[in-house]
Amino acid sequence: MKYEVVMGLEVHVELATESKLFCSCSAKFGAEANENVCPACAGMPGMPAVTNKKAVELGIAAALVTNSEITRTMFFDKKNYFYPDLPTGYQITQLFAPICRNGWVEIETGEGKKKITLKQIHIEEDAGKLVHDNRTGTSLVDFNRASVPLVEIVSNPDFRTAEEVVTYLEKLRSLLSFAGVSDCKLQEGSMRCDVNISVREKGSDKLGTRTEIKNMNSMKAIAAAIEFESQRHIDALETGSEVLVQETRRWDDNIGETFSMREKENATDYRYFPNPEIMPIVISDEWISAVRESLPETAQDKYIRLTQKLGLSEYDSSIITGSKNLADIFDETMKYFNKPKEVVNWIIVELLAIAKGDNKGGDDVKIDCKKFAKLIELVDNNTINRGVGKKLLSLVWKEGIDPDVYVKENNLGMVSDTDMIGQVIKNILTMHSKSVDEYKSGNQKVFGFLMGQVMRELGGKADPQVIKKLLTDLLAGK
Amino acid sequence: MNRVVLEDCIMQKGIPVTAGSKILENFISPLTATVVNKLLDHGNVIVQRAKMYEFGIPNFFTDDSDEIPEAIKVVKDGVADYSLCNDLFGKYRRNAAETGCCYIHPTYGTVSRFGLIPLVSSMDQIGVVCKSIPEGLKLLSQIAGNDLEDGAMFPEKFYDYAKNKQSISVGIPESIVNKADQETQSAIKEFAEKFNSVNVDLEYFDVYKQVMMILSCAEISNNISRYDGIKFGYRASGYKGIDDLYIKTRSEGLGVETKLAAIMGAMVLSKNQYTPYYEQATKIRRLIKESLRFDAYDIIVLPCCISEDPYENLSLFALPNLVGLPCASFSYKGQGIQLIANVKNENLISTAWEVCMA
Amino acid sequence: MIDIRDYEAMEKLSLSEAERNWVSSCAELLLKSFDELEKIEADVDPLITVLDILNIFREDVAVKKVSREEILSNAPEQYDGYIQVPKTLE
Ligand SMILES: [Zn+2]
Repeated sequence: MKYEVVMGLEVHVELATESKLFCSCSAKFGAEANENVCPACAGMPGMPAVTNKKAVELGIAAALVTNSEITRTMFFDKKNYFYPDLPTGYQITQLFAPICRNGWVEIETGEGKKKITLKQIHIEEDAGKLVHDNRTGTSLVDFNRASVPLVEIVSNPDFRTAEEVVTYLEKLRSLLSFAGVSDCKLQEGSMRCDVNISVREKGSDKLGTRTEIKNMNSMKAIAAAIEFESQRHIDALETGSEVLVQETRRWDDNIGETFSMREKENATDYRYFPNPEIMPIVISDEWISAVRESLPETAQDKYIRLTQKLGLSEYDSSIITGSKNLADIFDETMKYFNKPKEVVNWIIVELLAIAKGDNKGGDDVKIDCKKFAKLIELVDNNTINRGVGKKLLSLVWKEGIDPDVYVKENNLGMVSDTDMIGQVIKNILTMHSKSVDEYKSGNQKVFGFLMGQVMRELGGKADPQVIKKLLTDLLAGK
Repeated sequence: MNRVVLEDCIMQKGIPVTAGSKILENFISPLTATVVNKLLDHGNVIVQRAKMYEFGIPNFFTDDSDEIPEAIKVVKDGVADYSLCNDLFGKYRRNAAETGCCYIHPTYGTVSRFGLIPLVSSMDQIGVVCKSIPEGLKLLSQIAGNDLEDGAMFPEKFYDYAKNKQSISVGIPESIVNKADQETQSAIKEFAEKFNSVNVDLEYFDVYKQVMMILSCAEISNNISRYDGIKFGYRASGYKGIDDLYIKTRSEGLGVETKLAAIMGAMVLSKNQYTPYYEQATKIRRLIKESLRFDAYDIIVLPCCISEDPYENLSLFALPNLVGLPCASFSYKGQGIQLIANVKNENLISTAWEVCMA
Repeated sequence: MIDIRDYEAMEKLSLSEAERNWVSSCAELLLKSFDELEKIEADVDPLITVLDILNIFREDVAVKKVSREEILSNAPEQYDGYIQVPKTLE
C-alpha cells in the first residue's frame, strides 16, 4: 500500500456522577425532556457555578488509569459560542490547565503491543440535545444533558488503522468502566468519539490535509467511517477529483458516507478565557493517593484473579471481564453463593441467553443478584433441577419473583422420596410391559424411552440420577 | 425593621427581573437571591424594586453624573432606609456621595451572589446604599457570610464589623487628589489632618481604567451571551432561521452601551488580541494587587471625581473592584470622597468615618 | 474608523449605522488607550480571581430545585416539554 492513514482521537466520556458538573440537577440518563434542569443549566442568570467534587475525583481516576501526569493546580475556562443546545452561550471546559497531560494506553495489535500516547484529558460540561421535529419543522431543545460532566481524552495522532482505533476504544472503555469513571455506552452517548484523519504517502513525514469526523455511535460505525473517509482522501490524492479542505464532517450511518458540516465551521473564534467564578483546584499527593486506593480492580487484575485464584477458564474469565456490568454481576452474586464455576456458568450460558432474547448485551443485563444466587443454589443442592432453574431465571428476569417462595408455593421442589419414585416407576413399567419385554430381550435403547416416561410423570422434579438407578434396579427385577 | 429597596438585578422568585434590559422582558425569576432571604430572616421589609440602566453599564464617554439611579434616590428621599445594588464602575459610589448618602462596597466574596444577575463575575459584589456607614454595616452584617450556593466566597459565616482599631493611618495619593477640584482637595486635606497621614504612590493608577475596562468587557460579553431569545426573556419576531433569531433578538434587545461592552469583550478575547489585551490586563491586575502597602496605612482616600471625562474617572473607582477591597463613599464637607481598606477591614472605614464626622 | 463587523458577528449582533458609528469611534478611543498596557513590564502570572481560596466544591448529591414547568414557563416558545427553536440542521 502506497498510502498511510494517520489518525488522532478525541473521546468524550460522561462521568458517572449522580449530579451535574456545576449544579445539583440529576445527571441520570433517560429522564423526560427538560426534567433534570434548573435555572443554572437552563442558562438563566443568578446561579454561580459550584464544582462537583466527585467529577474531579473521577477525572483524577481517568488520569491514573491512563498513566497521565496530573496537573497540580488546575482551573476551568470558558469557551464562547452560540448554539441552541448550549444554554449559557459558553461551555465551561479546560484549555490552559487541563486535569492531566502526557498519558498513554497500551493496546494489543496484530503486530504486538502498541502504546497510544495521550496529549491531555480535560473535564468539561456536556451540551443539551436537539431533536429535529418534522411535524412542526422546528428543532426542540432538551437541557437534561446540559452541564453533565465529561472528560475529553485527546490522543496524539498515533493510529494507523481502524482496528487500532477500535482496539483502543475497547481498552479505554474497559479501563474507564472498571475504574467507575463512566459506564461508557456508545449508544446512549456516554462515550463518543471524534476521529481526526489525514492521509500521506508512506515514508513521508509531512501530514496531509486533516478532517475531523463526528457522529459515530457504534464501534462498527467508527470503523466504517474511517474506511470511508480514508478512501475519500486517497481518491482525492490519486485522481485529484476533489480538493481536500480542513473541515469537520458528519458520518451518516444510513447512507454510509461522511458529509461536510459547513454551518458550524465559520467564525470559530471561541474567545477562551479563564473562568473567574471557579476557584483554582489544587490536587495534592494525598488526594491522588486516596483516589488511587479507592480504585476498584481493573479488568486485567480481575482476569488474573478469576483464572488463577478461582480456577475459571480463560474463555469464561475473558467474557466476564470484558464487561464491567457482567463483572459486577459476578462479584455481587458470589457474595451470596460462593461457587465461581456455577455462577459463571449461569451468567454465560443462561443469563446472557435470556438477555439476548430481550435484545440486551452483557453491558445492559440487570438482575437481582441475591435472587439469582438463590436459584443457582437451589439447583446446586438439588432442590430443583436445572430445567426448573432456567424457568425460574426467566421469571426473576421478567417479574422479579423470589425463587425460594416461588418454589414452595408452586411445589416445584425435587421429589426425593425414593418409595414414591419407585411406585411411579412400577406403574410405568406395568403400563409399558411390551417395552419391558423388549428391554429384557436385549434392546437397551428402550431404557431411554422408559426413563423419559418416568420423568414426565414426575414433572421433571426428581433427580435423573436417582430415577436411573431405581429404574435399572427394578428392570433387573431387584 | 428596615425598609429595603432592591435594584432590578437582584432576583425574587415569581417576580419579573429585567436588570433594566429589554432582553429580559417577560423573564420571571425562578429563584430568590440569598441576600433577600437573609434580609427577610432579619425582619426587614422589601419595599420596592428600583429601576436601573441596562445591567448597570454606564455610558463611559458621556458625563451622566446628574442622572441619579433610583436605588440612590429612594434612600436620599427617605422612601427606604437602604437599597442594594452592584456598583462596578463607580457611578453609585459617586452619586451616593454627591447626594449626601453613603455607598458601602463590601469585600469581594463576603456577600452571596446567588440570585444576582451576573455582569463581571470576578468583581460583582452587592453593596449597600445607606445614610451612614455604621448603619450600612449593620445591614451588611445581616446579609454577609458564606453561602454554599456561591462558589467564590470566603468561608466565614458571619462578619463582625464592630471591632475597632484606636488610631487609623490614612494614605493620601497626593498626585491623584491634586487632579480634583479645589473644594475636594481641601476637604481631603481636612480629613487627613484628623489622622496620621502618609503620601501614597498608587503605582499603575494611570492604567487602572484600561485594566478595568478590558476585564469588564470580556466578562460582560461572556455573561450576556446567555441572552439569546431561546430559553427565556425577549425573542424578536419575524426572524428567518436560527441565526436570524439570535441576531434580531440581541440587536433589538440590548442597548448600545451593552453592545459596546460586548464588542470590546469580543475584541480583547479574540485569538490575536488575547495576549496583548486580556492576558496583559490580568497580569497588571496582579501587579496592582501587589503594589498596595496596607502595612504602611490602614485606608486609602480618593476623591469621587477628577475629570469631566467619565472614562478618566473610572480609574478612581477601579481599585476596590480589581483587588476585591472594601470601600465606602460619602460626602465630607460637601465633597464626595471614598475610603478603601484592606480585605475584610470594613470596620476601619467605619472607624475613620466616625472620627471625621465627630 | 475601525471595522467592527467581525466582532458583531461573534456576538450575534447586527448594529444600525448610527450604533456602528458610535461603537467604532468608542472602540477606537479605547483601543488607543489600551496600547498603554504594552509599555508595562508584567512578568507575573495572570490574576483571574482575587480570592486566595482553593478547592471549593459541592458534594455529588442530586437535588431538584425547580419544576420543569417553572423552567419552561419562561421559554418564548415551547412544544411537548421542549423549548422550540427554528430548525438548526439543513
Ligand atoms: Zn441544573
